[in-house]
Amino acid sequence: MLSRRRFLGTSALGSAVLTFGGQVPFAFGASAVCTRSERILVVVELQGGNDGLNTVVPADDPVYRRLRPTVAIRKEDVLPIDQGLGFHGALRGFADLLEAGRLAVISGVGYPDPNRSHFESMDIWHTCQRKEEVRTDGWLGRWLEEPSGSSDRDPRALHLGAEKLPLALMSRTVRVPSVRSLEQFRLQGAEDPKFLDAVQALSAAGRDGQDDLLSFVQSSTNSALAASERLVTASNVKTSSIVWPTTQLAKQLQTVSHLIRSDMGTSVYYVSHGGFDTHAQQPDAHRSLLRQLGDSVKALLDELQESGQADRVVVMCFSEFGRRVEQNASDGTDHGTAGPVILAGAGLHQGLVGVMPRLDDLQDGDLKHTVDFREVYSAVINNWFGVPSERILKGQWMPVNVFQTQVKK
Amino acid sequence: MDQQRGVILMENEIDGNWAWSSFVPGAEVPWDLKAAAHLYRRAGFGATREMLENAVSRDVCDVVDELLSGDEPESFRLQMSRLAAAALASGKAEQLSAWWGYRLLSTPAQCLEKTTVFWHGHFATGADKVTDPGLMLTQNELLRLSAFGDFGELVGKISRDPAMLVYLDSATNRKAHPNENFSRELMELFCLGEGRYSEVDIREMARCFTGWEVRRGEFRFNRYQHDTGVKTFLGETGEFGGEEAVRIVLKQQSAPEFVVSKLLRFFVMDELPQRHSDLIEPLAREFRETGLQIRPVLRRILTSRLFYSRYSTGRRIKSPVELAIGLLRCLEGTTNTQELSESLRQLGQGLLYPPSVKGWDGGRTWINSSTLLGRSNLVRRLITNQNTRFGKKSLREYLSDQGLKRPFEMIEAFEKMLFAVPIPVAAKERIESLMRPGTDVSTNEGLHALCTLPEFHLC
Repeated sequence: MLSRRRFLGTSALGSAVLTFGGQVPFAFGASAVCTRSERILVVVELQGGNDGLNTVVPADDPVYRRLRPTVAIRKEDVLPIDQGLGFHGALRGFADLLEAGRLAVISGVGYPDPNRSHFESMDIWHTCQRKEEVRTDGWLGRWLEEPSGSSDRDPRALHLGAEKLPLALMSRTVRVPSVRSLEQFRLQGAEDPKFLDAVQALSAAGRDGQDDLLSFVQSSTNSALAASERLVTASNVKTSSIVWPTTQLAKQLQTVSHLIRSDMGTSVYYVSHGGFDTHAQQPDAHRSLLRQLGDSVKALLDELQESGQADRVVVMCFSEFGRRVEQNASDGTDHGTAGPVILAGAGLHQGLVGVMPRLDDLQDGDLKHTVDFREVYSAVINNWFGVPSERILKGQWMPVNVFQTQVKK
Repeated sequence: MDQQRGVILMENEIDGNWAWSSFVPGAEVPWDLKAAAHLYRRAGFGATREMLENAVSRDVCDVVDELLSGDEPESFRLQMSRLAAAALASGKAEQLSAWWGYRLLSTPAQCLEKTTVFWHGHFATGADKVTDPGLMLTQNELLRLSAFGDFGELVGKISRDPAMLVYLDSATNRKAHPNENFSRELMELFCLGEGRYSEVDIREMARCFTGWEVRRGEFRFNRYQHDTGVKTFLGETGEFGGEEAVRIVLKQQSAPEFVVSKLLRFFVMDELPQRHSDLIEPLAREFRETGLQIRPVLRRILTSRLFYSRYSTGRRIKSPVELAIGLLRCLEGTTNTQELSESLRQLGQGLLYPPSVKGWDGGRTWINSSTLLGRSNLVRRLITNQNTRFGKKSLREYLSDQGLKRPFEMIEAFEKMLFAVPIPVAAKERIESLMRPGTDVSTNEGLHALCTLPEFHLC
């Protein structure tokens, strides 16, 4: 963690260098390599309804053991956090991040009158609106519509993956690119230096006349070619000692890391991790999914730390709902309600935030939420991005107290 | 992204009377290969050298009328229906998207097809939500059939179109809970533009459309669910049904203005001048006086002074469809249209996959780092793909058959067909030096380098 003294020691430099971004990051100064100041949010969507109780496990709770005779995580397999809660043993990555002060668990996140349909509940999380309302955009899409204060041509948000653009990133005025792979960010033919030199030089060369549409395309082309070249350099040169897992999620987060390290001006990266709908034979499948999650998020943050960019990155993991407290007859769990949201990265209050719902006070067999998901978004928007959240969240939501220092507007 | 909202204007105002008077070729703006290429790029997707040479030998109005005839030979239509049926048989909307790509590439009526793309963006409906590709095809055929026709009739048909109703969550519309989605979009996006109505207008009008349903893929009026009461909106009161609601909306002063300015942005200039009411007004008046007939207003646009002036040439950014289909059509290219339609989708203009009911914003929103690299890569893939043939030959052979053998000649030809603004001389020389005469690879490389220049993205 950066100490207060370290923050004070570097903030003057930080504000002098980075005024164009409009915000001074409280933890800037760890690296001379980092030329950008924009804060970054990496969203990891856990699709299918992650079993929160087997992610952040109430290991000492007798109700948990009684209601989950074959699905409960054994106490000796739990990695302790605090207050009788601990991570699933496969979440070694998260436990390490926690120990390093780089992870916070917000327990019991949900919303009133919970919907147990995957799509409906996901849409509620994405848009902050119910079915009865017209839903044309998502919370991050509305955030994108705020003026950025930067003249950067890079997309402010990127979706990595082959599936359709998440509703959360939909906006009426801003389109977020979906990127399947780094290949799309490489100029084909650039392996021939004569070709690359020519297109770069010709794009950069001055033009006669004052055609603002042409200058717009020209400057965009220049920055695209530059970003692409940086990206090629970043992936060719082994700049990191991190050994990445070979899973799909790890590949996507590795791409995120590449893009951040290649100085893209992107503030929001969105990836998905599917398969959490564990109605049957849950233990093996869930263990594998959680291991992929913990290991790849850890690899991402470690790599960014090594390159000096970790101070401006936060990862947020959420799912559309948790699962029923009582297991079913197929060694699985059915659709439930509230679950944990996990934040990892810079500037966080380490450890448990919020109140774990009681297992002996259920509603229709499900946990009662203790934190509204919009209070989590509010913290991200207000305290991390430093933007008022009322329009974006379609209402006033108190930020959950998960960030160390609040950005003054 | 700032550039997506940014409207940086080159002129404050354009005189409407001057703009819509007929184009008379002269010393300043001659009717030459450059002007003909502009017409074909905008009214359609692009023309081969032969077509351009033929066009300049004729009167500009004849060429426009030919484009606006929308004539497709019966045999072509039959072939397209057969292919569409095959695409539907796969059950996959992606196949239908590829089918449309093929249609764009091969139709002899390219202005009709271009205008159909316009209406697809205007009445945007997405296949990822309308899961039945058959409904998408029905809508696509409706848009093509009405593309040059009566705008009021088109709106009437769209308001009963199953794909549209499914897309707007209006496939059931019950008396007790009128769905406001369709009446909102009817005014905001289809006919009037934002702010030309009140929320009360929306709520009242929504009652007119109660009982409008989709059952088994067909429109149905369920009189038991129709609210027969008195409604008041846009200054009128009565026991209106959906048809009357559409009629009342189209009577609004802002309707022709809204549609005409959208046509201007699509066919003439991405960014209208800051003060554009004088420019819009004469055209909107004409549109109203002809009873909202689309073909005459398109004819006025395509034969106007404005269209051939510096306010129009190079004043648009190519959409992904214009970029890819244009490149191929100018060079008689054929390719694997499944890969093509997938690429278009990745570049943000998947046919049948608009980003929202608002359609494509176009203009500067097409451009960002990832799309620029993607556009360049698409060109390279198209040119070098073994499935791509130019007049059934390699690109070099195709050009050679037209007597274009030296790199310099090829570059000049590409510039005439594919570029709306001049390529800097230094760029032409540098790219010429990359190309060795007589090899396929260097011909392809040369065209790819040209298409990576910023100038290539202007239309």
